[in-house]
Amino acid sequence: MDDQGCPRCKTTKYRNPSLKLMVNVCGHTLCENCVEMLFVRGSGNCVQCDTPLRKSNFRVQLFEDPTVDKEVEIRKKVLKIYNKRDFDFSSLREYNDYLEQVEDIVYNLTNNLDVENTKLKMEQYQREHRDLIQKNKATLTREQEELEELLLLEQQGNEQRRLDVLQDEQRQLQAKRKNKQALLDELSQLPATILLAQHKVRAAQLETQIEQQKQTVKPTNLFSTGIHMRQTVSLVAVPKVEDVLFHYKPLHVETYGPPVPELEQLSRVGYLNHVRAAMPQDTAGGYTSALACHRAIQDAFSGLFPLKG
Amino acid sequence: MNRGEWILISRRAQVSKSTRPRLCPIERVNQICRCSFFLFDSFSFAEAAAMFHNSSQRKYWIFKSEDEVAHMRRKANQKFRNKIQESGKSAVSDSMFLERHEEDVLFRHYERRLLDFCNAFKPAMPKSVVGTALMYFRRFYLNNSVMEHHPRTIMLTCAYLSCKVDEFNVSSTQFGGNLLHETPAGQERVLEQILEYELLLIQQLNFHLVVHNPYRPMEGLLIDLKTRYPTLENPESLRKSADDFLTQAAMTDAGLLFPPSQIALAAILNSALRASLSMESYLTECLGLKEDKDSISKMYDSMRRMKTLLKKYELPKADEVNIYKPRLERIHAQFASSSNKRKRGYEDDSHVAKEPRLVEEEWTDEDLM
Repeated sequence: MDDQGCPRCKTTKYRNPSLKLMVNVCGHTLCENCVEMLFVRGSGNCVQCDTPLRKSNFRVQLFEDPTVDKEVEIRKKVLKIYNKRDFDFSSLREYNDYLEQVEDIVYNLTNNLDVENTKLKMEQYQREHRDLIQKNKATLTREQEELEELLLLEQQGNEQRRLDVLQDEQRQLQAKRKNKQALLDELSQLPATILLAQHKVRAAQLETQIEQQKQTVKPTNLFSTGIHMRQTVSLVAVPKVEDVLFHYKPLHVETYGPPVPELEQLSRVGYLNHVRAAMPQDTAGGYTSALACHRAIQDAFSGLFPLKG
Repeated sequence: MNRGEWILISRRAQVSKSTRPRLCPIERVNQICRCSFFLFDSFSFAEAAAMFHNSSQRKYWIFKSEDEVAHMRRKANQKFRNKIQESGKSAVSDSMFLERHEEDVLFRHYERRLLDFCNAFKPAMPKSVVGTALMYFRRFYLNNSVMEHHPRTIMLTCAYLSCKVDEFNVSSTQFGGNLLHETPAGQERVLEQILEYELLLIQQLNFHLVVHNPYRPMEGLLIDLKTRYPTLENPESLRKSADDFLTQAAMTDAGLLFPPSQIALAAILNSALRASLSMESYLTECLGLKEDKDSISKMYDSMRRMKTLLKKYELPKADEVNIYKPRLERIHAQFASSSNKRKRGYEDDSHVAKEPRLVEEEWTDEDLM
């Protein structure tokens, strides 16, 4: 799982699998310990590329390749500025062009190509579309909040259900214990056999009660997807496809011979008198003498007539 | 048969949905358990399953006339000649090759030997297996010349393949054990050769392995006669001579020209004629051909043709065979060396090759029986 090590202390990585790798803006990794050691003062230079870095810029590495992490960070920053959505554009072509623009910017920044110009472009865009950026940010945050609310609700529902189940179990346990206690109490008063019988009856009753409780479904008015029970969901109208109805035509097989009597008719017509009767062993597998007879007749009649013409 | 096989067969009998009707005490015990009928099972409404009328036999291996069949054989002969001429081997004269009628004699000779081999087979080979083997042999030499592939190996390969296809379970060791005049080592060699030729045989049969023989149609016709044709008092009396007719027909081209049910009908009508019993009305009444004069005349015509075929068949004369066989051996010795390697098929890759087998002495005919 860990095929890369910390470039500085190398050995420590392999010996300590729980150690995490941290990535910075320059795209180079360092293990936690090394970060602590090097950036004890808060800022320093990267070991490999010597760019000035701050300790706070170190994030835990998520991907195996540190360049990917670097790109992810850059992308986050770029998308904060370039945050138009697909409905902001009038045609698909324009949207795609815009996306390509964004990708170019991210690519340049990640691979350190033409950084100056790219940064200039970004700033220019930011200045021009300041209002639009703000508006989009607002809508985005609103949507995210809604989603979070829903998630929260769901979680609360789950919690509630869990608590209910726990409470039920507690109650059942208590009921059982009470039953046992009652038995012990009464032991002093009544003879044992009658008591035991009563106790058994009560225990059985308790069991059935518990079973019934488990079976009863709590009435709700929500499907698990969140749709209300009585709400009509409008689906896109399915176009009705009118096709030719299937018409059954019985299979006709050309045998080039006289017609063969049906399997069931054979005994009636008298064929079976001339065939060896089935022994009890044979009938075990489902064999009847009619089968052999039918087969022989079929073979005898198949292809018997000469071809026409 | 050893105990294991008996258990297998008896279990198969329980599960079998169809066996031959035990109409004649001469039928051998293992025939009730023959499972070859599974292959062609068709008891559902779809009688189309595997009967003759939609078989490959009817579509591809029934020819219109004796002339067409003779033409195909001529073509095969010519093809071999051309092949040798083109390969440019020197010292090839036209007289070396076998003529059509000479090839025919040899073919019939080896066919006889195949029949004898199958009849002497232990355990006893059912009739349909023999019929299938003969049919394979015949079909193979329809498109190939005896000069190209020697009949003695092909005939054993036909028997071997037919046992497999017809579910007549014989292990290869058992099969080899039937080659009586060979040492065990010799039997091994022969078996290896059979296995090498097997794929070639299947290929030349165009992978059409299911052969419909006339034996079951004959049984069916006898049952039908007994049930619906009381005019004929004892159809069982016809059985023996009809059987002989069928065996003889298997040695002719009848299987390549007529459907098996027609051959069976011809056999029965012929034996009725011999016993001076009239069966005219069977055709018109029971088979429903009263109105269809055309079909009736055609059917009588086919039967006449079949009878001619049977009459024309002559046993190969020993002296003729003794002349042609050495010539065949010479041709094989001279030209077959190139095809020997080709036989090995999938072993063409060098890393799988066995040691070259050209040095072994080819087993001779006498080794067979």
